[in-house]
Amino acid sequence: MNPQECHIDLVALQDLKDIMESEFETLIDTFINDSNKKIEELSLNYLNQNSEELRKSAHSLKGSSSNVCAIKLSELAKQIEHRARQQELAGIDALIQALDIEFQIVAQQLSDQLIKK
Amino acid sequence: MSTGAPPHLDGIDGEEVLRVLIADDNDSDRLILQTIVRKEGHTVFTARDGQEAIALFREHSPDIVLLDALMPNVDGFEAARTIKQLAGDNLVPILFLTSLRDAASLADCLAAGGLDFLSKPYNRIILHAKIKAYAAMRRLHETVQQQRDEIALHNDRLIHEQEVAKQVFDNIAHPGCSSASNIKYLLSPMAVFNGDLILAARKPSGGMCVFLGDFTGHGLPAAIGAMPVSEIFYGMTQKGFSLQDIMLEINKKLKLILPVGVFCCACMIDMSFRKRSAEVWIGGLPDVLVYRANSRQVESLASQHLPLGVVDNSRFNIESREVPMQRGDKILLWSDGIIEALNAQGEMFGEERIIDVITQTENSERIFSNIERAVEQHTGRLEQDDDYTMLEITMVREDEIAVQEGKPGVSSIVGGPRDWSLVYELRALSLKEFNPLPVITHMLMEVPGLRPYSGKLYTILSELYSNALEHGVLGLGSEVKASADGFARYYEQRTAKLEQLSSGFVRFHFDHRPRADGGSLKIMVEDTGPGFDYQSKQLAEHQTETYSGRGIPLIKSMCQSVRYTGEGNQVEVIFNWHADI
Repeated sequence: MNPQECHIDLVALQDLKDIMESEFETLIDTFINDSNKKIEELSLNYLNQNSEELRKSAHSLKGSSSNVCAIKLSELAKQIEHRARQQELAGIDALIQALDIEFQIVAQQLSDQLIKK
Repeated sequence: MSTGAPPHLDGIDGEEVLRVLIADDNDSDRLILQTIVRKEGHTVFTARDGQEAIALFREHSPDIVLLDALMPNVDGFEAARTIKQLAGDNLVPILFLTSLRDAASLADCLAAGGLDFLSKPYNRIILHAKIKAYAAMRRLHETVQQQRDEIALHNDRLIHEQEVAKQVFDNIAHPGCSSASNIKYLLSPMAVFNGDLILAARKPSGGMCVFLGDFTGHGLPAAIGAMPVSEIFYGMTQKGFSLQDIMLEINKKLKLILPVGVFCCACMIDMSFRKRSAEVWIGGLPDVLVYRANSRQVESLASQHLPLGVVDNSRFNIESREVPMQRGDKILLWSDGIIEALNAQGEMFGEERIIDVITQTENSERIFSNIERAVEQHTGRLEQDDDYTMLEITMVREDEIAVQEGKPGVSSIVGGPRDWSLVYELRALSLKEFNPLPVITHMLMEVPGLRPYSGKLYTILSELYSNALEHGVLGLGSEVKASADGFARYYEQRTAKLEQLSSGFVRFHFDHRPRADGGSLKIMVEDTGPGFDYQSKQLAEHQTETYSGRGIPLIKSMCQSVRYTGEGNQVEVIFNWHADI
């Protein structure tokens, strides 16, 4: 699979599924709800040009998406976090937009995983 | 001691069940971590921010804390600091949950008290390994703490025991009458644990015995020997036993109780103020010095014997030296601490320096303190951290000695025999080899209130006994003693006649009756000698100032009456005493 097309590390996700067992569904729901809120926060912080808060929400999203094996989403959050730390907010809106789109894909794929089960 | 719950070993795979606190504001991350840790068999408490984490820590005091660094309200760094404070002496490993990568942030985590990190995404294997490692670290710390507490407890107990032991030692191995005005001494307060010992006691005859001992080794083993030595010394000196008898008894005891290699270097001095002489026995101590007041010269008395407790009594030499002494003459003695005191160059203080100090001191009263100061200067140390033992005893007139020995007669008048009589007959075999005076003195001292008179009574008894034995039973003429070499001849005859003695006796009759403020002791001494014409002889012989006649006038000066009866082989004295002398 093309790395660009690889949104989720499926091998790792299978491990996570094994660990979480019945809690897996709760986890996915929690992650999707949480991330929705965080992406809203992220956009708001960008609008306010608050680079410190922007960095924090990106950092949090980076961690949580990595935990559900959403590697590309995590990578995008990391880039935003990095820019925010450097206080280079110019052009960051493109990244936020890409992150939003990536999240929609990840949310869909994770939900598919639930049905598969 | 740990306040945490004891570890349970019934978790998954027999591993320790821990109570783990997880604090993360991110719901999905917390859910994953909580699930993984729970699957490891541990108990989990979860918090959404630092404030909640601190509250849960207070409530449950968990074993391990996993903290997210960035959290709302109270962040991970602050929570870590508070938790560390709450944990106090206990080690509660704090692991930071972070995807922070920059060195500065990681350093902040450690500075706040974190021990390690868990990075996101969580890896089950690494998490398991880290929790295991830090649980082991926590247990190790707990063990160390327990051992530390145990050591502290043992140490406290040891110190307490030593204090008690020191009290007991101080009570038993007390320096006796060493506060007497003719004694000066230096003894470290912890001397008993250095193995050094100074004892001093008055004798019933009015003299004084001093003992300086230096046990090999240090600490309790060295101190233990001091107890029997002290008991024997005080017990026997008080009862009038001779220096030889006392040293034999001490040696016998120490040989019996001390392990091989532990012994007691010692010197004992029996000071007679009336005879103006000192009997000295030295075993293993540095040379004892005799200072002559008139010439300001110093004589050395070297040790001639083995220390106490080395050989058994059959090979123990009790030969002592008789040192005639003038008023103001001093005997100085010490343990090897002073002689061997080193200066910065590693040189010993040595005997030569001591002798120099003594001979260069004009005022003999300052000799003791000058030696003390010279040693301090030599070593460059202060007085308080020395462990020297030094003793000086000065020849004085008996009435010059001032000692506080407690108020006689007041408390001791209660109890004990006050109304009694006794006959004590010593026959030939006993007369040959037994000195009855210690036993008799001891018995008389049981009479309440009579103890302060022990010196006088001893003198009276010894005069009466030697008269009865020597002039009575043995029939020795006291005229012999009058000539210059008479004493020696007299004692030769005495020894020879005692050896041949096969019959005869000396009989003591005692009768004690209480009186309003004291008592009256009647002593009658009877012997099997031919007696003498006391009517005519009494005045002529006994009032002279020669040696031979000294006994009776002395007795007369101490008693209410002295009366000869019968054939002149019975003498009766009455000794009245008052409780408040």
